[in-house]
Amino acid sequence: MLEINDLHVYYGGIHAVKGISLSIPQGQIVTLIGANGAGKSSTVRAVAGLARNTRGSILLNKATILGRDPEEIVRAGIALSPEGRRILPHLTVEENLRLGAYARNDKPGITRDLEWVYSLFPRLRERLWQKGGTLSGGEQQMLAVGRALMSSPDLLMLDEPSLGLAPLLVREIFSIIRQINSQGKTVLLIEQNAFAALSISNYAYILETGKIALHGPGQELLHNPQVKEAYLGA
Amino acid sequence: MPAPQTRPAYEAARFLGAAGLLMLALAGAETFLDPYKIQILNLIAINIILALSLNLIYGFTGMFSLGHAGFMAIGAYVCSLCVLTPAYKETMWILEPIIWPFSHMELGFFPAVIAGGICAALAGLLIALPVLRLGGDYLGIATLGFSEIIRVLITNATPITNGSLGIKGIPKFSTLWWNYGWLLFTLYFVVSLLRSNSGNVLKAIRDDQIAAKTMGINTFRQQALSFTVGAFFAGVGGALTACLISTIDPKMFSFLLTFNVLMIAVAGGLGSITGSVVAGIIITVLLEWLRIVEEEINLGFILIPGIPGMRMVIFSMALMLIIIFRREGIMGMRELAWDTPLRLWRRFAKTSAPPPPAKNFSIQEAETMPRSQAAIPGENEFILELRKAGMRFGGVTAVKDLNMSVKTGCIAGFIGPNGAGKTTVFNLISGFYKPTQGRILFQGADITGLPPHLVCKRGIARTFQNIRLFPTLSALQNVLVGFHVRQKSQWWMPGLQLPASRREYAAMREAAMRLLKRLGLDDEACEAAGSLPYGKQRRLEIARALATEPRFLLLDEPAAGMNPYETQDLMELIQDIRQDFNLTILLIEHDMKVVMGVCSNIWVLEYGICIADGPPEAIRNDPKVIEAYLGEEYMEYA
Amino acid sequence: MFDWLHSLYQTSALPGMNLSQLVQHGFNALTLGSLYGLIAIGYTMVYGILRLINFAHGDIFMLGAYFVFFTTVAFMPAGVACFFIAAAFYVIHGIVRGFRRRPPLPVLGLLLLFPVCGLYFTFLAPASFQLPWPLALITAIAAASFCGIVVDRIAYRPLRAAPRISALISAIGISFFIESLSVVLFTGLPRPVLQPDWLMTPMLLAEGSVRILPLSLVVPAITLVLVLGLLFIINRTKPGLAMRAISRDIETTRLMGVSVDKIIALTFALGSALAAASGIMWALRYPQIHPYMGITPGLKAFIAAVFGGIGSIHGAMIGGLILGAMEIIIIAVYPQLSGYRDAFAFTLLILILLFKPTGLMGAKLEDKI
Repeated sequence: MLEINDLHVYYGGIHAVKGISLSIPQGQIVTLIGANGAGKSSTVRAVAGLARNTRGSILLNKATILGRDPEEIVRAGIALSPEGRRILPHLTVEENLRLGAYARNDKPGITRDLEWVYSLFPRLRERLWQKGGTLSGGEQQMLAVGRALMSSPDLLMLDEPSLGLAPLLVREIFSIIRQINSQGKTVLLIEQNAFAALSISNYAYILETGKIALHGPGQELLHNPQVKEAYLGA
Repeated sequence: MPAPQTRPAYEAARFLGAAGLLMLALAGAETFLDPYKIQILNLIAINIILALSLNLIYGFTGMFSLGHAGFMAIGAYVCSLCVLTPAYKETMWILEPIIWPFSHMELGFFPAVIAGGICAALAGLLIALPVLRLGGDYLGIATLGFSEIIRVLITNATPITNGSLGIKGIPKFSTLWWNYGWLLFTLYFVVSLLRSNSGNVLKAIRDDQIAAKTMGINTFRQQALSFTVGAFFAGVGGALTACLISTIDPKMFSFLLTFNVLMIAVAGGLGSITGSVVAGIIITVLLEWLRIVEEEINLGFILIPGIPGMRMVIFSMALMLIIIFRREGIMGMRELAWDTPLRLWRRFAKTSAPPPPAKNFSIQEAETMPRSQAAIPGENEFILELRKAGMRFGGVTAVKDLNMSVKTGCIAGFIGPNGAGKTTVFNLISGFYKPTQGRILFQGADITGLPPHLVCKRGIARTFQNIRLFPTLSALQNVLVGFHVRQKSQWWMPGLQLPASRREYAAMREAAMRLLKRLGLDDEACEAAGSLPYGKQRRLEIARALATEPRFLLLDEPAAGMNPYETQDLMELIQDIRQDFNLTILLIEHDMKVVMGVCSNIWVLEYGICIADGPPEAIRNDPKVIEAYLGEEYMEYA
Repeated sequence: MFDWLHSLYQTSALPGMNLSQLVQHGFNALTLGSLYGLIAIGYTMVYGILRLINFAHGDIFMLGAYFVFFTTVAFMPAGVACFFIAAAFYVIHGIVRGFRRRPPLPVLGLLLLFPVCGLYFTFLAPASFQLPWPLALITAIAAASFCGIVVDRIAYRPLRAAPRISALISAIGISFFIESLSVVLFTGLPRPVLQPDWLMTPMLLAEGSVRILPLSLVVPAITLVLVLGLLFIINRTKPGLAMRAISRDIETTRLMGVSVDKIIALTFALGSALAAASGIMWALRYPQIHPYMGITPGLKAFIAAVFGGIGSIHGAMIGGLILGAMEIIIIAVYPQLSGYRDAFAFTLLILILLFKPTGLMGAKLEDKI
């Protein structure tokens, strides 16, 4: 579904991504893991159209999307829940979600998806009229994921959804990611929390200093000692 | 680009030679040119003075000021009141009689201009003290407001200023000689100031205020000084204008006047002195020349009527075009120098050769630079102690109850997942945040809540996660800014080229070159910091921090964005500088190879709380740390 | 202390004031405050999104007044007016619904109708033709919003990635450009404005002891309607949602599929429409217009926006009302200070910036270290 070939991303004078290639098949969960600064975020930012200085190719269903504006890419069916959640603190929960559906014009579809998001995250329904900024960290993360879902994407990219969350909430978020995937959405997951991410993903790529160091099915990598090394050094 | 290194005698001779040439030219102009052309020459001189003063404030110090018309008005009115005779003032003030002491004041032209400048400078200081805290465009609006207030006050203070009638018949003292004399003095002062370390400091503030603070610069004081000096020369420009056109009234000093000056400074290039000079000439001439569009043009067969007001349309359109298509102006931040052709030739001849380091100063002088004193063993076992330090932002607790004691002379590491509060701790130590709880002790003394520049003075230096160099300054100048905190010369000394300050600057350059060499950056000494490759920028940031002669160095992710070889070099460098400079180092790093490789003690932070501390081996096998980093396996199906 | 207060009272105009004067001052304050507030909203909206002081905003205010002048008092080729209405409709429709989608029939109808009318008015109608008032108002406001969009397009959009100060200099440049061009096109001479009689016939209240002009009631009423309309757009429509989102986080808003440039153009259009409305009412209230008339009200309205807390629409309106009231009251109470009138606002500005830089309702913007 998504094909990345020899992607390079330069970011603030740094050659952050040095030629990575990966493919994401329809309906799977694919994970990019790696330590801080390995180039994970730069990769998804390039896919979402936010990175300006790029080289290589990114194909969505065989059509190139590299170099197009973020708003076009959203319409093409890719949504990103950015790192650090980035919900809009002065808008209500519902407004945040409706903003996620900005690119769509089908009213019944939006209403249906809104219901779906509320059923995925019942806690958001309780806080419908609350300002985004007053939510707890976990609720904000749910809102960020829900907002990305509202554009009705084929490919959902989640950048560090577990960041700064307590272990119990991390578990909840991961179970919801599985649920979303089981309803037919392809997921590209970026994680630092390697073990949790590997255990739910079909396939995983491990990034080290802008290059792919290792890749394979998630369950296989879970028991590979090299993974621990990439994180804690040896 | 650092200032070219030349002998003072040679420089003085060059300056005198140029002044002599100018005098000849002026004498020639006075004899051969008609009064209209002489008037234009006078306007050129005054416009350049004004543009230079705005450039000092805005181009070199980065303070967006729109108050020039106000300063000029003060200078013009003070000067006019001083030069007019009491008898004339009696007859001129018809609305309300002029009040004492203004009615009896009479001064010569030179002291009157000085008085105008000083009053403008005082007004500048007065306005600077409250409003300089505001950044960017707010400062612009506040100074614009100030200038409008001045205008309203002048209009209404009829017993002093003759109100809206203005002052007529001011003696035309501003001859070519006076105007160009003042221009020469302004140029000399501003150039000397900017070529010294004071100039580096001002430009550093312009480039990055936060980084300037960590370099121990009292940014507020420096900005206020620059603003006051700029206001002084603006006042002088106003005074000269008054005595050139002989009539002033409050309407003259509207925003349009500021706009003209701004136009010259922007067109010439903000941060370029020669740019202001060139643009001053071009724009003054252009404005006069543009008068033709407002007059009838007779092409013989057709008569094109003049369009009144068209001059300003073209003028403002020109400013728009400049700012959109050539934002940096004619000169950018570059300068034309006496030896520009020579230098171009030299660059052509040997492209990569760095300029030779200063040879004309003895090493002995360089040795007089204060060096870090060797650590006295047992003086303090712990160089830095955090006692229950904590920081809350609104309702969010970023750091809580952090206790930490860093042993003198060690390399300590600070790790934890993203958002754990590590950089917040650095900001607490370096004085950017005042802790909401607890105390911070450095070498046994309490430094809680000290502002960053005083923390630096105590001997703490830091680098930043997202490199904060002064991008338009050369590598050498970046390091020189670091020396500022230990320098002895006062800010005004370089302006007058006092020998003591010249010697000190030379010695500092020497020491800075040595420091650059120590970090392997001597080949890049003259390159703009912003254009250096990433790894070198990181090292330059360390060099700059070392220049403040710290006892304690905070490194925020020094290995971020480096490849494995650079990282290896960096590890060695960190260990070496700790030895050579007798430092204690605390570093934040995500690259575990670096942390495990160089640190003797490590603190692990998660959610703002210290979850573990100890030597690397213990940390690596601590289950809590492993969990914080790698997380738990997702257990749903396990 | 009491003596001092007493002498302060004695030197003021308060002892001699009667009810009628008091009521008049009150309405004057309300009128002036409404006008400031309407301009201030445009400043605050643009600043909230671009962090840019739109110096040209005061000139849009001036253009609004001139457009009405030319469509009512003097002869103006009405075709130009129609062109502006059609263009503004088209641009705003394009921004809201996307340029690729076909505009709905009413808009298309207008697009076709207006140039036809324009041709008729330009070439066939008698030279003394004047647009009727309501149409003149709409034309002027549409033309001014169009100018606002053009200002953004040529002076600000090329500099989006540049340092903020460059955009600010560009703002000063375009402002001078509009002013000097207006001097060339309209001449620098002040022109009188036609005031409709029904607005200027005093109404007698309370058995003739209080006289007020209908205009003093109409201005606050129109202001209220416009502000409610704006708040509706911002709080209840999709582009309004995007505007609120952009003001906080441009990048994330783009990720949601919002075309940022279009929303910014819409912001300029709305702000300019309000400024033009204010300019027109200003011209009715103080019936003399000249190319530099926008500078002082513009700066004062910016101060009102800062006072209310930049970025907040309620704040801008409240700031405008307070500033207007303050000016009128100080001068009413101390007529001897009227020469210093223009200095009040700037003094207020410096005081606010010193003691409460965030204004009454503003949020703090912090630099990240």
